Amino acid sequence: MARLELSNVSKSYGAFDAITDVSLAIEDGEFAVFVGPSGCGKSTLLRLIAGLDPISDGAITIGRDDVTRKPAGTRSVAMVFQSYALYPHMSVYDNIAFPLQMERRSKGDIRQQVEKAASTVRLSTRLKDKPAKLSGGQRQRVAIARAIVRKPKIFLMDEPLSNLDAALRIEMRTELTQLHKELGATMVYVTHDQLEAMTMADRIVVLNGGRVEQVGRPMDLYHRPVNRFVAGFIGSPPMNMLRGRVKAIESEYHSFDVAGIGTIVIDGLAERLKIGEEVVLGIRPEYLAPHPAGSEPLIKIGVVPRSVERLGAQTIIHGAIEGQNFTCVFAGDQAVEPGRELSVYCDAANIHVFDAAGTTVSRK
Amino acid sequence: MALRNSTSGPVKTVSFHQNWSAYAFLAPALVILFLSLLLPAAATLLMSFTDVSFLKPTNFVGFDNYVKLFNDTRFQQAVGNTIHYTIGVTFPTMVLGLLAAVALNQKVPGRMAFRTIFYLPVLTSLIAAAVVWAYVYEPYAGPLNGLLTRVGLPPQPWLQNPGLAMNALIIMAIWRDFGTAMIIYLAGLQDIPNDLYEAARLDGAKGKDIFLRITVPMLSSVTFYLLIILIVQTFQVFGAIYVMTQGGPLGSTETVVYQMYQTAFGYTEFGYGAAMSTVLFLTILVFSIIGTRIMRRKDA
Repeated sequence: MARLELSNVSKSYGAFDAITDVSLAIEDGEFAVFVGPSGCGKSTLLRLIAGLDPISDGAITIGRDDVTRKPAGTRSVAMVFQSYALYPHMSVYDNIAFPLQMERRSKGDIRQQVEKAASTVRLSTRLKDKPAKLSGGQRQRVAIARAIVRKPKIFLMDEPLSNLDAALRIEMRTELTQLHKELGATMVYVTHDQLEAMTMADRIVVLNGGRVEQVGRPMDLYHRPVNRFVAGFIGSPPMNMLRGRVKAIESEYHSFDVAGIGTIVIDGLAERLKIGEEVVLGIRPEYLAPHPAGSEPLIKIGVVPRSVERLGAQTIIHGAIEGQNFTCVFAGDQAVEPGRELSVYCDAANIHVFDAAGTTVSRK
Repeated sequence: MALRNSTSGPVKTVSFHQNWSAYAFLAPALVILFLSLLLPAAATLLMSFTDVSFLKPTNFVGFDNYVKLFNDTRFQQAVGNTIHYTIGVTFPTMVLGLLAAVALNQKVPGRMAFRTIFYLPVLTSLIAAAVVWAYVYEPYAGPLNGLLTRVGLPPQPWLQNPGLAMNALIIMAIWRDFGTAMIIYLAGLQDIPNDLYEAARLDGAKGKDIFLRITVPMLSSVTFYLLIILIVQTFQVFGAIYVMTQGGPLGSTETVVYQMYQTAFGYTEFGYGAAMSTVLFLTILVFSIIGTRIMRRKDA
């Protein structure tokens, strides 16, 4: 296991910059998740670490070893592909044994290592089968066993759960987290699913347009997003965004004029806003309540539900305020009717304020 | 007449009446198939049990033609020549086709031009190509012997020497056929997911290992397909021999189909020729069945 460090890594394809100046350190034994929307560069970054594509600029270090110019097979990294990339003509045994065979290890050693890896992923009884005979989850485990058997310094996983059905995905999520604990390995995991990122990661790296937007622990990203992009990307359903303008500033208090709601007063913001400045106020759907609850001052918002989703444990209301989607998540089964206006309440302390550039306005 | 419906649950039968439109759409194809394939095949089989000829009345002779065929040393030589030709053409064609496909599957400059050049012989008329190659092999004015003389080697009577003629035909066939093998292998190569190569690279595999452990096995279905079509095709060689050697010298290039043609149309022994044709047909059928079985087992 080892520390992974990226220093000013960039990757361009002709005039297109896929990755721009990424600097990042992933600690020994850490489970880091790269997350971001399609095309944000997360898989490209993983391929650069793996050595499958050369970087245009910067340096990659694994442990004390500068691997920037080293070919893929010599970096001591193992990768689990989205497609699993199992060799379909080989048995499960041969698939797992392949990296060891390439190292020209002895047959006895290979057998011992393969059996150990297969046992770790609970596939000892399927060693003679071809991948086509296995279920999606079992194929995934073969791919993981093939990675484990090499004892790499870094594990790379490129959306490994995206081809599985929802139930299996949850099961494999738990298994991968467990495996990470057992192996104590440094893992870099790519996903576009923020739920996977939140549940599995020690630290999340949010990417957008080839740049790192924020790096942090899942709850730091949830509670303290550095900008509108991270705030909107982390959390499901996404944060409600309301356009507004600074109306007045009085000592600790900022008053905002918000279209469709009226005046919202928030205290404790760093005083760097100007009167008349455009802002966006962000409210997480789960911080809205159907009744006044929480500390004063409470914000009251009127919303007309367009549709209501009852999940039993939660009631999700989809509405709109001044043409912008507005979602509320209430605990339990709430008696809400589509088309009938209701008042929802929010603690002002839970409102995020973003300036015109989309940067979070910090609180004191 | 009834068809079994293979859906799950109780077995249903679908009457001809209910399916008449399906049969109506199939009818033109079935008529063409019957007239062009089944009828001639049945006629050939029937003929093989007769001594039909333009020169005398036709008699039913039972298995006489087949008994004669298996005791005919000229036919045995033709079978030997055909096997020599088939092996000589099939394997080098496949190896060269594979190597060319692998080379031209890389991002090398001019690869489209090379693909076209290698495939051009397939598109040329066989007769025209055979005439050109007959000139190439010409012992006195041919460019091949001209080249040999220029590098200090003795000229060879390529198509006149019984020891060389078949090999000369084989070289021409490889030149003509390897473009087909290359195109089929190229299609097969492009079907191999890139992820497999990337996984192999990460697993520490290098060029030779990747080729032997990933590329070649992943192409096994294509290889079997090519093997079968090349065997079937080379078993039926006729045109090049007709133009270049007429089965000579001393019968060294006389193959089964050429002998069949000579027997039927040269010596007007249609019944005997039909027996040869039937044996050839059955041999090719056996290869096709073996090939199909192997392919099916691999796919399972």
